[in-house]
Amino acid sequence: MRPPETAPVRRDCAPVGGNPTSVRHNRASLWCNGAPSQRNGAPSQCNGAPLWRNGAPSQCNGAPLQARLVVAFLIAAGPAGLGAQVMNQMAHHADSARRLSLGIMAVGVASRATPGALGTDVTEGYLTQPMLFAGAQTRNRRLQALATINFEGLTLARGEINLGVYGEGFSDRRHPHTYAHELMLGALGSSGFGTQGSLFAGKGFVPFGSDDPMTRPFVKYPVNHHHAQILERVLVVGALHARGVSLEAARFNGDEPEHPKDWPNSTRALDSWTARLTIKPREGLEFSGSAARLISPEFAAGGGLDQNKHSATARFVRARGPLRYALVEWARTQETRTARTFFEFSSVLAEGQAAVGPWRLSLRLERTERPEEDRLTNPYRSARPLLDFSILGVTRWDVVTMHADTPAARWRWFSATPFVEGAWLRPRALARPTAIDPEVFFGASRLWMLSAGVRMHGGDMRTRFGRYGAALVPAR
Amino acid sequence: MARLSLGALVVASLSLSACNGSDSPADPSDLGTTPDPVTIQTLVVTGRGTITDRYSAEVWARGNHAYTTTWGGRGNPQVPGNTIYIWDVRAAPTLVDSVVVPDVRIGSPVRTLGDVQVSDDGKLLVVPTEPSPGSIEIYDLTDPVKPRNLARFTSPNITRGVHTCELQRINGTLYAFLSVNNSATHPSRLMIVDLSNPAMPTEVMFRDMGNPFIHDVFVRDGLLFTALWNDGMVIWDIGGGGKGGTLQNPIEIGRLVTKDGEVHNIWWFHNPVSAEKKYAFVGQEGPGTVLSASVGDIHVVDISNPALPREVAFFTVPGAGTHNFSMDEARGLLYAAYYNGGVQVLDVRGDLGSCTAAQKAADGRCDLRRMNRLVATGLLGQNPSVFVWGVFFAGDAVYASDMNNGIWKLAPVTR
Repeated sequence: MRPPETAPVRRDCAPVGGNPTSVRHNRASLWCNGAPSQRNGAPSQCNGAPLWRNGAPSQCNGAPLQARLVVAFLIAAGPAGLGAQVMNQMAHHADSARRLSLGIMAVGVASRATPGALGTDVTEGYLTQPMLFAGAQTRNRRLQALATINFEGLTLARGEINLGVYGEGFSDRRHPHTYAHELMLGALGSSGFGTQGSLFAGKGFVPFGSDDPMTRPFVKYPVNHHHAQILERVLVVGALHARGVSLEAARFNGDEPEHPKDWPNSTRALDSWTARLTIKPREGLEFSGSAARLISPEFAAGGGLDQNKHSATARFVRARGPLRYALVEWARTQETRTARTFFEFSSVLAEGQAAVGPWRLSLRLERTERPEEDRLTNPYRSARPLLDFSILGVTRWDVVTMHADTPAARWRWFSATPFVEGAWLRPRALARPTAIDPEVFFGASRLWMLSAGVRMHGGDMRTRFGRYGAALVPAR
Repeated sequence: MARLSLGALVVASLSLSACNGSDSPADPSDLGTTPDPVTIQTLVVTGRGTITDRYSAEVWARGNHAYTTTWGGRGNPQVPGNTIYIWDVRAAPTLVDSVVVPDVRIGSPVRTLGDVQVSDDGKLLVVPTEPSPGSIEIYDLTDPVKPRNLARFTSPNITRGVHTCELQRINGTLYAFLSVNNSATHPSRLMIVDLSNPAMPTEVMFRDMGNPFIHDVFVRDGLLFTALWNDGMVIWDIGGGGKGGTLQNPIEIGRLVTKDGEVHNIWWFHNPVSAEKKYAFVGQEGPGTVLSASVGDIHVVDISNPALPREVAFFTVPGAGTHNFSMDEARGLLYAAYYNGGVQVLDVRGDLGSCTAAQKAADGRCDLRRMNRLVATGLLGQNPSVFVWGVFFAGDAVYASDMNNGIWKLAPVTR
């Protein structure tokens, strides 16, 4: 049994999500937007991996204000009626902050793509990644519930300009995620010999690949999102952790969401599997390898091509020093049927974040291959599911992205972090002749994306997305 | 005899080594040119009509004219595949006119006309449209150079577009058999439309089928063959099968999932010389990359007993996959569009299900290549490279629609 953390909570959580933001400190790195387990040099050692920690009184006392702002946010962006439910939760939160947690985030961003599809520059702005987080756990922390509601279906109906990104019928725009982004319920246990186990079920993140991009330093997603993460699936995931090694395995539905209101097809329940092994040699450093077999992700009704996915990652996080975060990952997606592989797409990505005074500077280098699909009249949309399973080509994207976060402005439980982000992209057709030559399609061989905006966080934040229960237990 | 056996052995070993090789497409100049003891002819190109602003799709010919359709969007700005090209083919194909199919939904241009057919009496030309909301477009061919739009058929039951459309006359009435894409609101389905009054097409029936979709049909002698992808080929009685089936209520007679499924198109061969109706040829379309790579074999299915069809033979081209067929039935020649493999011509007379051990694949099926059934190839080694969507045998010529380049006119095999 590890001693409970006693170090005082600082208000500058080390940023992995890119911005030093004031949030509730979490011993299990689950709710703080940063690397709280290492803050102040006091490793967080929470047996049972609680969801969050009851923070400083000044933070807890912010509940009524949180409630007001959350409700205001939901009224502005979400369906009517939800606000009242949140208000009730917030009231409960004030009574037992150890058991309930709420947080919100959103990014107001203006972006310019030069050029976009068909050579036309795109300048637009929106609220991206608007989300509401909620969590609950029993006093002994053996039972946990997590919920993430994503409002991109309201704010990003046409998708977010994000050259290179593809998936779910969008190309060069990031698709909106489903409203029910994550609804998980789980139990944790301990053997008493340093072994911890958990079993979670619900809709959420599949244990595969690297952390979801929304908890990483950049606002724009990498091209490899659909190679390196699997999310929004109904799953049952078990995890074991012992001596800095964790093993996760899950069954889940293979079908990708088809629109923000979509739910996984009941006929596809648990037809796919994944496993991930993570080795944590010391605090803040981890290596993981994962494999997954997805059944017919593109044809929701089934019968489409299957996918074999593999991923290897190395991740480093610390609260001090110039280098705060680094990730190197390799991912590969093979599209198969009856033991035959028809298409293969690979990705290599390296990214990191450095602290320069109060600023956070991030750099991402990526080389990812993606399929080209038959575009519709809207050049950012593609036929889905694909007719006859044919693709129009394979494009390799070389992308360099730089991101800078300014110091956050804070007001009690809320923080706002201005940022600027720029990307240089070079797409090249790998197979010729090709029905989509990016140089023709974009009218340029080199593309640029510039973005600026404000990342907003409030309340309890999650450090990582994609791991549950025992898979979140610190190294030792 | 010894020389023949040695030759067969060499062919077999070359074929095997090709099959066991890389999945990557072969050099087009190598496609289908495995040396056989029997000389493989090269189809002579007698003309070419160039279309490079749109991708070409299917081809049909009648009399002095050929019609090609178009697929997807091409170029920047994207030019949609909403056009029917009309060719004078008395000599080399000469483009004489074109018809742009208007939007089915205002502001949402038609993207693909994946099929085209002229009715048996030459009076009508019909094309299906994709994507959503989908339709079939019916044209009067009184003037074959100036198709006149008679009607558009659309329906809430075809919301994601019509992929293929086959015309067949049954008991004197012309029908269109539509292979309808699956959509969020309905699964893939077969729909039959009555064209007895082409200005007022009427829906006869639809039935959901296909895994994940129905791609094409073949209708002959009161039997309906449906290409249901991974559900294989299904034979239905629609009046000629003796099971009581009708157009309104087709009754299944038999089905077969050919090796690896992906059943794309079918041709039931009637041999006018022997009166044999034993074989159906099934085209398999595996996942490909448009213009550069394709995969899929021709499967030979013995339907002597249509209730128990069985696959007896196959034909494969290393590095390429088959697409649509046409036949010179009198000569027993199957013309197969083969995308980056150009055009491949097979001799399909006689017994295709009996072969020597050396001519068999490991799974027991006869390999038409090892049986020296490949008699000709066409359009290999062209520059720019070809990607042949469809072929049409017109008696004195064979027309090939090439997605990349337009239309080719070839001299047929005349043995």
